Amino acid sequence: MSWFSFRTARREAAHPIAAPVQAGTEPEIHRSLALPTVFAALARGPRANVLDLGTAIGSNVEHLSEFGCRLSIEDLFMTRMSAADGEQLGPEFFEQLIPLPNGPQFDVVFAWDLFNYLTRKELAHLTARLRQACRPGAQVLALIWYHKSIPAQPIRFRFHGTEQLVYDRRTALERPGPRFQPAEINQLMSGFHVDRSFLLRHGIQEYLFVRE
Amino acid sequence: MAWNPKKTDEPSTYRPAELSPAPRPATTTPSTAPAPTSTSAEPQRRGERATIGPSIFIKGDLTGDEDLVIEGRVEGKVDLKQNNVTIGKNGKVKADVYGRLVIVEGEVDGNVFAHEQALLRQSGAIRGNISAPRVVLEDGSRFKGSIDMEAKDSGRSNAPGTQGQAQGPAKVPEAVAVQAAG
Repeated sequence: MSWFSFRTARREAAHPIAAPVQAGTEPEIHRSLALPTVFAALARGPRANVLDLGTAIGSNVEHLSEFGCRLSIEDLFMTRMSAADGEQLGPEFFEQLIPLPNGPQFDVVFAWDLFNYLTRKELAHLTARLRQACRPGAQVLALIWYHKSIPAQPIRFRFHGTEQLVYDRRTALERPGPRFQPAEINQLMSGFHVDRSFLLRHGIQEYLFVRE
Repeated sequence: MAWNPKKTDEPSTYRPAELSPAPRPATTTPSTAPAPTSTSAEPQRRGERATIGPSIFIKGDLTGDEDLVIEGRVEGKVDLKQNNVTIGKNGKVKADVYGRLVIVEGEVDGNVFAHEQALLRQSGAIRGNISAPRVVLEDGSRFKGSIDMEAKDSGRSNAPGTQGQAQGPAKVPEAVAVQAAG
């Protein structure tokens, strides 16, 4: 099965597999049912260590700064693009992506929709690394598409208040979605339990995992 | 000795600026001012600014007492804790950067320590950690690393997560404006 790579992205750019979203469309805003739980934990707890696997977004940084946390941003998608052009990523990639000089350190992880852009093997390596990286009780927010086709690049999610996310698509192109099944996700995320899971109307299943 | 009109002209043109009270108090007011004002985007507080041009490559430590614009390449350490440091669009810095206001329009491979604010422009990229009371990342900028953030107001009763209202962060005018512009 061929998964996403720059090569396939270029191929898909030349031959989009789905009708492109109209350029200049306003970003969508959707309610996030798990987000309030994450923010409540950040507000309640001591100074938290937050890992954002997405792209750095100024307003998110500003928002998180209200909690006085330590924020690590590791742009997984772009790092992957620059590290391996379509090649399968091994565990060492994720060890370098998320260095853990002091052992488990993260209290909150924003994985956004990035799971959808990894092969099952790569996702297994990532979740294995997250198991090592998260403290007991740590929360992982992940969004799993169940549509047949998904945006060709991960969406940029911005906090919009405490209960909503702005979905900012980087491209109008689409690619086949992996359509991970809930049982598969649960298996991949061993060491975590599903605290909350919401099936949202716009084609996304929102998961909030908690490290056991 | 030959008369040099340039030398005699300079004092007369610069004296009014030196006597002007504006620049000095600006450097001493942060304790009363809550955050850098809009002037913070332009590192012009002292009116003195050195530039490292695009063709210059410096390997070693940089220290001084004036604002600095880096358009060339620097490897080592940039230590201007009391001044503003701008890494211009052509600038490539492989060093830890210390400054009061640090603006990155080019590339930094190292840690950024800003006394007041770190500002990563749209064209900028930082691979390293940022430590600053205020961090602004413009849309389109590239950042990989950690940001150490102190809570802005420990006495604040309502952190965003506790409000339960679908409203924007309480105090983000600059970042929001930046996002909208991006």
